[in-house]
Amino acid sequence: MAKEECKALLDALNKATACYHHLVLTIGGSADSQNLREELQKTRQKAQELAVAIRARLTPPLRDRGLGAEERAEFERLWVAFSGCLELLEADMRRALALGTEFPLHAPRRPLVRTGVEGGASGVAARALSARSLRHEAERDFDVEDLHQLEREILKVGEMIQDMEMKVNVPRWTVQARQTAGAELLSSASAGVSSVGGVSVQQRTGPCDLSKALAATIFSAVLLAAVALAVCVAKLS
Amino acid sequence: MAAGPAPLGGHPRAQRPHLSKMERVVVSMQDPDQGVKMRSQRLLVTVIPHAVTGNDVVEWLIQKYCIAEDEALHLGTLLVQHGYLYPLRDPRRLLLRPDETPYRFQTPYFWMSTLWPAAELDYAIYLAKKNIRKQGALVDHEKVGYHHPSPATPAESSQRNPSPTSGAHSPGSRLIQMHKHTHPIEGVSEGRWGVHPPELGVGKSFPLETLNHPQAHYDQLHRKINHTWDLVVMQAREQLRAAKQRRKGDRLVIACQEQTYWLVNRPPPGVPSVLEQGPERGSCTARQVQMTVDFYKREIECCRKALGRTRVKSSVCLEAYLKFSSQRGPHDPLLSGCLPSNPWVTDNDTYWAMNAPSVAVPTKLRVEQWAFSFRELLEDPVGRAHFMDFLQTEFSAENLSFWEACEELRHGGQAQVPALVDAVYQQFLAPGAARWVNIDSRTMERTLEGLGRPHRHVLDDAQLHIYMLMKKDSYPRFLKSDLYKDLLAEAVVPLEMKRRVFPFMWKPRHSSPSLALLPTSTSGEPEAAAEGSSQQADPHKAGGPWTELAEAWHSSLAPSPTFGTDTQSKRHSLVVTSRGHGGAGGCATPTRPHQPSSSVVSQRPQLCHPVGQKWFQPCHPSTNQFWFK
Repeated sequence: MAKEECKALLDALNKATACYHHLVLTIGGSADSQNLREELQKTRQKAQELAVAIRARLTPPLRDRGLGAEERAEFERLWVAFSGCLELLEADMRRALALGTEFPLHAPRRPLVRTGVEGGASGVAARALSARSLRHEAERDFDVEDLHQLEREILKVGEMIQDMEMKVNVPRWTVQARQTAGAELLSSASAGVSSVGGVSVQQRTGPCDLSKALAATIFSAVLLAAVALAVCVAKLS
Repeated sequence: MAAGPAPLGGHPRAQRPHLSKMERVVVSMQDPDQGVKMRSQRLLVTVIPHAVTGNDVVEWLIQKYCIAEDEALHLGTLLVQHGYLYPLRDPRRLLLRPDETPYRFQTPYFWMSTLWPAAELDYAIYLAKKNIRKQGALVDHEKVGYHHPSPATPAESSQRNPSPTSGAHSPGSRLIQMHKHTHPIEGVSEGRWGVHPPELGVGKSFPLETLNHPQAHYDQLHRKINHTWDLVVMQAREQLRAAKQRRKGDRLVIACQEQTYWLVNRPPPGVPSVLEQGPERGSCTARQVQMTVDFYKREIECCRKALGRTRVKSSVCLEAYLKFSSQRGPHDPLLSGCLPSNPWVTDNDTYWAMNAPSVAVPTKLRVEQWAFSFRELLEDPVGRAHFMDFLQTEFSAENLSFWEACEELRHGGQAQVPALVDAVYQQFLAPGAARWVNIDSRTMERTLEGLGRPHRHVLDDAQLHIYMLMKKDSYPRFLKSDLYKDLLAEAVVPLEMKRRVFPFMWKPRHSSPSLALLPTSTSGEPEAAAEGSSQQADPHKAGGPWTELAEAWHSSLAPSPTFGTDTQSKRHSLVVTSRGHGGAGGCATPTRPHQPSSSVVSQRPQLCHPVGQKWFQPCHPSTNQFWFK
């Protein structure tokens, strides 16, 4: 169904935007590095791809006059969420550009702010891209070129937003959100239980349980071995 | 942030200059060689680097900018209040302590900026995240709380979400329990989220009012941006999940950073917001000026004009100022008191009546003021009228008439300008005019030229000439004339309204029955007084009505010497009874209605409360003072 597909894509875009936001937070800080810039680029490119795909899926139903009221309301809700997400993404991209220009990586006179954040954010980017891990393969002056590219991408996204506003007329204030206040406290069973979300949950809980399971098995193995040895000793003696 | 930097078509906002300066300071602190000394913060298991102590910051500021310690402290506090540094132990109290309290730098994304104002959507997402963290993740929080106890959070959440799990946790138990990663109520997914204790460090109790305000904001936001609430919830969840991918130390730091950002941008009630600007600051946007030729040309022009300006030496200025103050001191109603009494205090507006613009007999102070300067004389209608009389005796009244006509031209309506100019010309300037004024030839030529194209300032030169003529010539003569001296002699000095021992003796604001006996005399007397019949106007000449009233008072007051039960004094009974002997003193002189005692009698031209004046002339003049300072 088109709606389910749209929802899935929207969730993916949401995830990518959230991860991008999280990465942009650390620009200019002590965690800023070539890798971070690369991750930023990958995340935002993925987000843009998703945005284009969603737009392609959502525009025809909304321009279709013959759609039922219920369906239309549903699509409008998705549209509002989508445009909000896109605006967040654009704002974060602009911010990234400003901060990236202000804190160039290889300028000696301008040190990075020591914020106490260390360690890579490759996990975040990997999550955005729904991949297991991320490979970093950038050249030295990556950040400078990246900024140029970022500018271009910002313009593209801006155009897309404007285009969206022109083509589809959805007044925001008429849309009734499905979530009520405090809805985030409820389990995520109703909202966002898409395959992508489920996969990510599994993915995330995977590593945690893995280490614990490993520790548990090793411990129990050692315990068993000790018991066996004790029995043997008892038997033999 | 959701809001873009520039609205389409609008002019771009610039970063406020003081914020740019603070940013530069913070960046210079980051220098690996010359920056502030960094330490590590050691939490039980994790070690987070890049902590600075307040002391280090202050010392660095002193050393780098060569300033005194208080200034360094103030500057440091400004940095903390604007969110560039945040305290690690007590995040809500944003000030710099010059001791070992640890601080950390804020990430540039969260620096305060006018280019990127904090948006409502972001705040909503933050509150949603907090909501999730507090409610759904208390179990994890327990575990983390083993390292960083922070009692505010369970209290906060128990305030907002009366769920059984939150209520059960108390600071003490947290230290002991080690829970597994399960959540009793919600599903598995929710429970894993959010291990961000917002506070690191030793627990403190927070004042109750700060606990409620995020909830109020949350509800408010929900109402405001209801249509995007789906997005808010989705983003909140996703951002928390994304944050989980990081190491624990990073997670903590990022949570602290965000919390500080929102503390600064959405301060709790009672904390002044640093974002507020006074009205005078709005216009100072320091733009980067291009050092072009135009710029320098403008600068040169500016300096040239500045050179040409007349300057007065400050010694001269200050002398003039002193002279002005000493001259005006006795005339100022606030500095030297106003006679008869301050209407705002005593509800008696004789002062205003006597100083009305057109009054038949001006007060002495007013007449004296005419001697200060010519402008004073002309500005006062009474003074101007007398000056006109004087000029008529000297046969130079046309000067003043001409001046008045010119004033009318300058301040009058635009439509009347041509007609008025013509009239003035006919009357004053034409050769052989009826009231020809004596203007020197150059000014006359210029004026006559300008008359061809009349505008309201065409007679300015002539007016100025005549003004100076009057000022230099007639005005000194006026001041020495008999007319002026007579005016001074006749001027009225209002007597101070005596402060009554009992406040109810002042003119009552509502009519009281006993005063109904004197309808005509009380209305007649103030008018006569305002005219200022003479300063020796003897209010005691009232014979009949005074005695009647006096007797009425006497009879009503006789039974209670302390006046505590007097109907009129009920309001002031507290005051009265405590000053019993004053009352007794007052009561003891009821039998002298007509005798003015020399020093204490109040000879007043107006009668606020005629009986009161007579009756309660206190025997001891000093008792007056201990009532009212």
